Amino acid sequence: MKQKSIAAFLLTAALGFGQTPPAANPKLPFVYTKWKQFTKADGLPNEHVFAVKSDGPRLWVGTEGGLALIDKKSGKVTKVWTEADGLPWRAISGIDINHKTGEVWLALFGGGLARFSGGRFDHWHQMNSGIVNDVAYGVAVENDNIWVATTAGASRLNTVSGEWTIYTEKNAPMEEIWNYGVDYRDGKIHLAVWGSGVLEFDVASSRWKDYLDPDGEMEIDLYRDDGIVHVITTGAKYIDKALWVSSYFGVCRYDGRNWRAYYNMDSGLPSDFNNNLAARSGNEAWFATDKGVGAIMDAASNTWVTYTRDPKSNAGKAVVSRDKTVLETIEMGLNLPNNFIVSMDVDGNDVFVGTSKGLAWGIGEGYYAGVKDRPKQVAEIRGGAK
Amino acid sequence: MKLIALLALSTLALTAQQYPPIGPDNSPETQEILRRINNLGPNEVPDLRLKREQNYAKTSSDVEPFGGVKPYKEHFLLQMEYTGPGRSEPEPGPELKSVRIGFIGPIMATVSQATGGKSHEEVLGKKMLQGAQLAIEQANARGGYVKRKIPFELDIVNDNGLWGSTGNEVITMAYKRPAWAILGTIDSANSHIAIRVALKSEVYMMNSGDTDPTFIETNIPWTGRCIGDDRQQGYLLVDYMIRKMGYKRIGIIRASNRYGRFGVREIKDSARRLGRPVAIEMAYKVGGSDFDLQIQRLREANVDAIVHWGDARESALVLNQLRKTGMKQPYFTSDRSVSKEFTEIAGANAEGVISGYPWNPDRKDPHLDEFRKEFIARFKDEPDTYAAHGYDGMNMLLWATNNAGLNRAKIRDLIATRSTPWPGVTGAIPLSSAMDDMGDVFLARFDKDRWTYHSREELQIPRGYIPTRERVSRGLETAAAK
Repeated sequence: MKQKSIAAFLLTAALGFGQTPPAANPKLPFVYTKWKQFTKADGLPNEHVFAVKSDGPRLWVGTEGGLALIDKKSGKVTKVWTEADGLPWRAISGIDINHKTGEVWLALFGGGLARFSGGRFDHWHQMNSGIVNDVAYGVAVENDNIWVATTAGASRLNTVSGEWTIYTEKNAPMEEIWNYGVDYRDGKIHLAVWGSGVLEFDVASSRWKDYLDPDGEMEIDLYRDDGIVHVITTGAKYIDKALWVSSYFGVCRYDGRNWRAYYNMDSGLPSDFNNNLAARSGNEAWFATDKGVGAIMDAASNTWVTYTRDPKSNAGKAVVSRDKTVLETIEMGLNLPNNFIVSMDVDGNDVFVGTSKGLAWGIGEGYYAGVKDRPKQVAEIRGGAK
Repeated sequence: MKLIALLALSTLALTAQQYPPIGPDNSPETQEILRRINNLGPNEVPDLRLKREQNYAKTSSDVEPFGGVKPYKEHFLLQMEYTGPGRSEPEPGPELKSVRIGFIGPIMATVSQATGGKSHEEVLGKKMLQGAQLAIEQANARGGYVKRKIPFELDIVNDNGLWGSTGNEVITMAYKRPAWAILGTIDSANSHIAIRVALKSEVYMMNSGDTDPTFIETNIPWTGRCIGDDRQQGYLLVDYMIRKMGYKRIGIIRASNRYGRFGVREIKDSARRLGRPVAIEMAYKVGGSDFDLQIQRLREANVDAIVHWGDARESALVLNQLRKTGMKQPYFTSDRSVSKEFTEIAGANAEGVISGYPWNPDRKDPHLDEFRKEFIARFKDEPDTYAAHGYDGMNMLLWATNNAGLNRAKIRDLIATRSTPWPGVTGAIPLSSAMDDMGDVFLARFDKDRWTYHSREELQIPRGYIPTRERVSRGLETAAAK
């Protein structure tokens, strides 16, 4: 037994720490093969889906031309709001839910901030409030506060006192003020800032911390794992004490001690151009790229599933890869309505993908986290849930 | 009826030969691109022969960042593509009465949020607007949007000083008064804000006035620039100051805004990488008039050349105060100093001043002469660099619109895939894989009451070795290894 342990140790050492030994039957991640799509034909007010947010039995969809509510149980668009219905502005770029009150908060791309509650929209903009700018890219609910990522700084609305706080280069470590994404979890606000990496605001201490690209150069990434992948970031999600970051220059993960960057050239990420992301855990994140969905299903082994649709038919496929080695290709019925992915959410076992041409709902029946031994899904799986 | 049709066709054929060449383009390349981008379904992505380069921004190996290390990844060498469904958007119906092109720039005096003082760029923006207006008026005189024979309409908005207003204005041009493409702007922060909105709303923006190198370093497939940037001007100035003249201690004085901060960045980095680190860098508040502190520090640093980056007024005031204190060091500036305002304030001190400059206004070119003539006739004033580049940028948009049709993605495609330089009045404008103007830049020198413009070759300015292989796949090449 002791000899076996020593042999195992030597084998591990020979392969190099952290590398997965090649296996004849590698452990594989869960692959979503059941998808449902929503387009204008299904009732969406617009197919350019800027934001999607799952809220228990409800799914909120923010588009370039209105807000939609999908009832998950019936699988149908049950209600749509446009400007004619009181929606303050047509383009919705971010959605978050205040679970304490049930309020739906909307970042309006060019319209500021809106709250949908009790069937009524309330509207905050530059002319009636302290919001720093109307071009809002993201919104996050933090306790009684609402944070808005705008093109000219971050704004925080205290919903109890009505007080606005503005964060710019004057009172936060923003090298640039062009906020792109905002996220709240576990006592920390994370701002993805175009030109300023990721900023972390600790709610308890009101202290800021910045994550910048250590090489400081726009045209190169000097070392893969030296820090945030680029200062131009598009999204940040903090979960299980891990920080996931998307950018137009690849994506990365920080576990509090080590950084790891992922590019198309060294992982299953289908493109380095990432509009957004969603994180299910510290080990799993989903990236919205311009060439499909890239889901890292097991960060520990760099195992990805890439989802794309065939441009000319109603078919899609998933490619499972580890590093750049393809482990499995699964043909399936239509998965994504379009390969240009704009927004993303995960909730329970399901995933929700906003594209430039409709919404996809991946149904996670039998979902499991990480990787495990399972037979390869070599047989073609045809027909989604639609 | 047939006669009228024939006459119309003849007119069309004639106009196609006119300058600027914004009419129907029957070149094999344009026709091939149109064949590839037309009649696509929303999920199809055309093969557009993406540009791939081996060297970023004509950077010589000895000034590349971290030159002793092979980087893990290089960006901007492969052109960004647009993979969304926009090409399948249908054109508007016959109810359309004009083809709206947006203009955003600093054209009205206001309070500058960036500086807290008076805005300062409207003198530049107004000229850019005039260049754009002339291009639109000429196009309309030639029939406007040729496919429907309806006029182009210039939708003009101001973005001066107020950072936030830029985003709101581009939102307006994207959704409320939709433009097919947009020209703008000058302020670097505003430009960045504008292209972020343009990216999400998918409308193409041509920039003709922001020389901030980082503007284009954003991986946005919805923008391009038709003016040589501060990286190119900085490289030429450094090559002149260090490789040719051998200055050892360069001092920098600059505006404390983004234009000043990013404008000198390549000069600082290049000087350091060439073993002549900048001795001192002093910033001043935009709009200021007293530079005693900065000049005192420059003197104490014992510099042998001084670089200024900022607006013309401050450049001239700094120069005058330097000379007044007896400092005779050579004075180098950014292109904004090449202006009447600078020479009027600087007076005799302007003699010998050298500026980086994005083009050569003394170039012998009948199209440039014609542009100048028509500009003066229209506006009773000389066109400056902002007018000339605004004219070129707008003509590029008009060419793309006339040929791509009323589809924002296709307008983008035509500009992005053009492999031949645009024949601008500012010279040839070749767009790089990062969609930046990689045309020649020049040094402007003020001699005997006028600016003269000089190429690298004319002044025999040496340059470092420009590698022909990307950094990731080549060895650690250096100038010495050539």
